[in-house]
Amino acid sequence: MLFMPMSPVFKGTSISTNVVIKCTAAVLWGLKQPLSIEEVEVAPPKAYEVRIKILATGICRTDDHVISGAMTTKFPVIVGHEASGIVESIGEGVTTVKPGDKVIPLFLPQCGKCSSCIHPNGNLCVKADLTGKGVLSDGTTRFTCKGQPVYHFLKTSSFTEYTVVEEISVAKIDAAAPLEKVCLIGCGFSTGYGAAVKTAKVTPGSTCAVFGLGGVGLSVIMGCKSAGASRIIGIDLNKNKFDKAKSVGATECINPKDYTKPINEVLSEMTDNSVGYTFEVVGRLETMVDALASCHLSYGTSVVVGAPPSSKMLTYDPMLLFTGRTWKGCCFGGWKGRDDIPKLVSDFMAKKFDLDQLITHVLPFNKINEGFDLLRKGESIRTVLLM
Amino acid sequence: METAGKVITCRAAIAWASNAPLSIEEVQVDPPKAGEVRIKVLSSGICGTDNHTQDGTLPVPLPAILGHEGAGIVESIGEGVSSVKPGDKVILTILPQCRECDSCLHAKGNFCLKEDILSPVGLMLDGTTRFTCRGRKVHNNFGASTFTEYTVMHEISVVKIDDAAPLEKVCIIACGFPTGYGAAVNVAQVTPGSTCVVFGLGGVGSAVVLGCRAAGAARIIGIDINEGKFARAKALGVTDCLNPRNFKKPIQEVVVEMTGFGADFTFEAIGTIETTVAALESCNLSYGVCVVIGLSPAKSQLSFDPMKLLSGRILKGCSLGEYKTRDQIPLLVEDYMKKKIDVDPLITHRLPFVKINEGFELLRSGKCIRCVLLF
Repeated sequence: MLFMPMSPVFKGTSISTNVVIKCTAAVLWGLKQPLSIEEVEVAPPKAYEVRIKILATGICRTDDHVISGAMTTKFPVIVGHEASGIVESIGEGVTTVKPGDKVIPLFLPQCGKCSSCIHPNGNLCVKADLTGKGVLSDGTTRFTCKGQPVYHFLKTSSFTEYTVVEEISVAKIDAAAPLEKVCLIGCGFSTGYGAAVKTAKVTPGSTCAVFGLGGVGLSVIMGCKSAGASRIIGIDLNKNKFDKAKSVGATECINPKDYTKPINEVLSEMTDNSVGYTFEVVGRLETMVDALASCHLSYGTSVVVGAPPSSKMLTYDPMLLFTGRTWKGCCFGGWKGRDDIPKLVSDFMAKKFDLDQLITHVLPFNKINEGFDLLRKGESIRTVLLM
Repeated sequence: METAGKVITCRAAIAWASNAPLSIEEVQVDPPKAGEVRIKVLSSGICGTDNHTQDGTLPVPLPAILGHEGAGIVESIGEGVSSVKPGDKVILTILPQCRECDSCLHAKGNFCLKEDILSPVGLMLDGTTRFTCRGRKVHNNFGASTFTEYTVMHEISVVKIDDAAPLEKVCIIACGFPTGYGAAVNVAQVTPGSTCVVFGLGGVGSAVVLGCRAAGAARIIGIDINEGKFARAKALGVTDCLNPRNFKKPIQEVVVEMTGFGADFTFEAIGTIETTVAALESCNLSYGVCVVIGLSPAKSQLSFDPMKLLSGRILKGCSLGEYKTRDQIPLLVEDYMKKKIDVDPLITHRLPFVKINEGFELLRSGKCIRCVLLF
């Protein structure tokens, strides 16, 4: 592996290197194939870009959606988007980070200028690549493998020892942050936690119901607990997930298969009709409607967090909303990446929440396919790969 | 009043069967039981929902006396009634406020669980009716029934208002006005300088426009297939009027292009699946708020792309503008009396009660915003 040593910091000047880095990456050559550990070339950062040495990356279900074809992309591609690392070099004009800084790449950038970034509640920056274009803003990629260009994923691409992202896709974090843990703040944890505290804005003393107890669902529970909910009901078809849900804050867990009544009736009875907030953290259309029907008809709020299967329509009875319910969805928990991710890392450092419960497996990067197997079998919550 | 405790014989408009004109008949109205109030109705608006119940798209038990947007004077009260007394001016609404159920106890909830809207029974809470016509029992409607000279309602649905309130005007503060105005100021919470889109420029849509304007919206786009409504809409505050039939593209695409990135707040005040999806897709994908007010046909199902929600949009429904009726409608009446709000532009037609079917025609033809019946 050829790489440039950490450059000294010169305040006020950008350090441009023209050195291509050869390193190891997990390349997805085509649909449904195992990831292939290859040598890739990573071009230096252009203007307003940052090259990052990735030190830890989580495996998220959305990465698997690309492999399975549920999410569209061009091939070959380097997936992965939940990571942490250290800035290796910066392109011209970059001012917000410098080599040596600890950072988290952001699959939702924050340009600060578009209508989403300007709005207090928006976070879907126009610069995000959510449709599988696979390139950076200038229309080109920074990766090559075996002479071919390799596409980016969500303008992040973290299953690689080095990646290049745009400055607007980088959150600078606490220099003392443990990178092998805070990588989860790059996606799974923040998505769930934000759904509760930022999107739903769970209120103290309320009753919450969380459908789906995977990594993001557990993070929702942590958010509800942080917001002071008095009752947090975890719902999953797999009762093996109940113990962990309780350890992060669920007050009770139920399995819809144990009941003959519809789940919304079960929840209403259990709580004397007081469910204020429900969360769908599975990605299943029927569950989205169940979750909506399960929140209080007049003051309830339901948040869709789980990504639904593409191009399928969600069908519901409009009377569910007529009585006063609110239905929301969010991407990345509603967080504005550059503003909020550093604060979440600081909260982690202040022990406001614990990520250990989410990290069930730690593997070396070259065992990435094992990590995907664990995900597909439902045996892991989050596997973190260490580079 | 000398009629207290006695059955009153008066005129009412009866819906004997769906999709047929209402029939003005003589009815007997029983005195109020415990917790009930008998009211001399002096004015009633005709609401779009009355139209849906009359034409059968929103089935209710028949025969019935429809109407739920009324104002009148208390004639007599049943045992235990304490919030109103004979002679009080009152507004008659579709949503009770019992102050005991968990909707009422919640700071924001207004869908009182003693409602008779979701699965209408058309009877008082004790399972009986107070109306008889030609010897047959006649149902009430949504706990109200205002197309009658006298009605009996539960105390929890009767709103005491200012003694000086002009009853021939404030009846629309029983339904149309708060439903639309509240959708803008309470539910969406329209912000100053924002861009709003209102689908449907009828009575409720017009009230939404008033709410958006009161909240300081900079741009209010009104959408209707009936261009006859545009002039009035502009007088109320609409800045741009669009007729979807003038465009080849779906109207939501037109709106997104016009606004650059979708509206801040959109409202659906019609009650069709197609326009509800259009309203959702017309608001900004990341921070847009869409409020659905219009009641879709019974047993209808709405389908939309869930990614529209996942990107960050907020979709809300509401009933009566999220106002807690007994607490907040009197305050709206006060605001009207102090000229802080103006409902007068919504009342475009007045007819004597006996011409009720003409009133329904005006509504269906789109020629009126609100037609008020006077007794």
